[in-house]
Amino acid sequence: MTTTLNPSVSDVQNVTGSIDIASVSKSYGDTEVLSNVNLSIPAGNFLTLLGPSGCGKTTLLRLIAGFIEPTKGKIAIDGRDMNGVPTQKRPIGMVFQNLALFPHFSVAENVAYGLKLRKTPAAEMQQRVDRFIDLVGLNGMGDRRIAQLSGGQKQRVALARSLVLEPSILLLDEPLSALDMQLRKQLQIALKDIQQKLKTTFVFVTHDQEEATMISDTVVVMSNGHVQQVGAPQDIYASPETLFVSKFIGELNEIPARVTDTGPQLSIDTAAGQFTLPASAARGFAPRAGDAAVICLRPEQLKVLPAGANVTGQTTLNATVISRLVIGPLTRVSLRVGETDMIAVMMTDADTAPLPSGSACKVSFNPDHARLFAPLSDDMASAFGEHA
Amino acid sequence: MNSGERLTFSKSLMLLPMLIILAMFFISVFTLFSSAFVDRGGFSLKYFQQIIDRPDYHIVFYRTVLSSITVAILAVLFSYPIALLLWRANKWRNLLLIVVLVPWLVSLVVRTYGWIVLLGPKGFINAFLGWLGVIDEPVKLMFNDTGIIIGLTHVLVPFAVISILSSLLSIEENLEEASRVLGASGFQTFRNIVLPLSLPGVFTALMVLYLASVGAIVTPLLLGGITEKFVGSQIYQEVMATYNMSKAAAWSICLLSLSFVSLVIIKMIERRALRGQE
Repeated sequence: MTTTLNPSVSDVQNVTGSIDIASVSKSYGDTEVLSNVNLSIPAGNFLTLLGPSGCGKTTLLRLIAGFIEPTKGKIAIDGRDMNGVPTQKRPIGMVFQNLALFPHFSVAENVAYGLKLRKTPAAEMQQRVDRFIDLVGLNGMGDRRIAQLSGGQKQRVALARSLVLEPSILLLDEPLSALDMQLRKQLQIALKDIQQKLKTTFVFVTHDQEEATMISDTVVVMSNGHVQQVGAPQDIYASPETLFVSKFIGELNEIPARVTDTGPQLSIDTAAGQFTLPASAARGFAPRAGDAAVICLRPEQLKVLPAGANVTGQTTLNATVISRLVIGPLTRVSLRVGETDMIAVMMTDADTAPLPSGSACKVSFNPDHARLFAPLSDDMASAFGEHA
Repeated sequence: MNSGERLTFSKSLMLLPMLIILAMFFISVFTLFSSAFVDRGGFSLKYFQQIIDRPDYHIVFYRTVLSSITVAILAVLFSYPIALLLWRANKWRNLLLIVVLVPWLVSLVVRTYGWIVLLGPKGFINAFLGWLGVIDEPVKLMFNDTGIIIGLTHVLVPFAVISILSSLLSIEENLEEASRVLGASGFQTFRNIVLPLSLPGVFTALMVLYLASVGAIVTPLLLGGITEKFVGSQIYQEVMATYNMSKAAAWSICLLSLSFVSLVIIKMIERRALRGQE
């Protein structure tokens, strides 16, 4: 199913819809679920709050919606302080995780609900309801009951019901999480498409990093109630500021290491061998001799070479090939490096002389690509199901 | 059919206790009902004729139906806010539910005697009103319809609370929040979303309460006195005082027919009111 966009809808130009979140904290009793969040969301942005469950992303969304009030700090929409403003007076729409469609209304009645509350004249209401049912690709289904719809169709009704009011901000709380992969992909594209036509600010909550990087202009990575990093998806992938962000966005090879000497070059000792990294490799902490650390490398930054190969300007470690997997244009090679399992990804056609499984090899990388982080604290590690 | 589902002899033995209970139930009901149609060994509608011919018996039926409708509506009106409160009180719901149900731990007779203490001519309410100077002589709150309605409403409120609460609890999470985001005030959300979706529970409550009230015996007996009878208390009297089993059976058939007709009517109203809801 493709989504056709009504051209008249795309004329709407929203210049409103900016959100300013200033030093916002939220506590329940002694438990702080959000601490000192600062975030500026420009109007018309597709922003994703990304993080593992329990990181506070949904709480932040509910604060913007006004279902709950911040313990500290303030949230402003278009410069207007929202503290104390009830939900129904805020210029927002929201799509819920469980969709929350009204089961006793038809599709059209669901979409018309907000317009009815605003006492929109009948003729205009009919026209707008039809237009938005078309926009989300549900042409001719206005009379259906909610129970008769498929998951993807319900999704579209929930979207139309919010968008018909032309809110300057749309909040989406993991709305695609219940759908199967293929439908999910379709709706991600549809969402992005609709957002670009309407220029509405979208604040999208998800725990799926692939979804986040695919559809967003801006990604906000959160964990344990803190904002870890804010940026364009490709920037966050290319230069993660913390180990948590590195692990959460994209695939990652981690080598446990110990810093043995500092200076312009950091001397590193790992189970796979000793080498040096530039001092700029260390992120978010100043390593001292004896510190434990984690070296991070993306799979595409590793090169697999025959055991006897000579390389200059690259850091080289001895490794063993475990297996290789060709996925169309890409080849994934599983490696054993010291005591660590690692993955290298390369273009299949660049892999001219494949090494058989079990053979010794060398893995090399540019030392400027490596990043050195302090190990995760226990509570952070638990987000990945790891235990120290 | 796979072998696990085959009805073996040993398995069918387990049905025996149930069959015995069912058989006893149907045999007794059949015997009772047939006695209503038998007089001196032959078929007769005499007992029904007796009921139809007596205008004072008609009043018993009117009183039973009208009082029961009043009781059902009153109890639902009282119960709805209580159910709403319990629904909202996430943390305290179970505790509050116990408070609502505690009267069930006290025997119905004892509870009804409690009302006599409150409603009697020298009871608490009359004494209090007299002390305030609102009334000069006691208001008649007992041994009339008022007493029966107060007593039955009190007895039946917990049933209504449970029925309404269960339909409130089945309302999908976030529907209220969705309504608020779309611009509805708290009252509009209640009016447009919560109330319509709780109607199935309201109708179940109306039906159960009405039927329970139509068949009530103890409360009308104690609070209605000798003169103000319900069909149930009339049957009780035929059995316990005049030993006229055949007439009691005729009364029972009338009561059952009445309940059945009422049930059909309530169901028709419910279907109309819930049109469009799944």
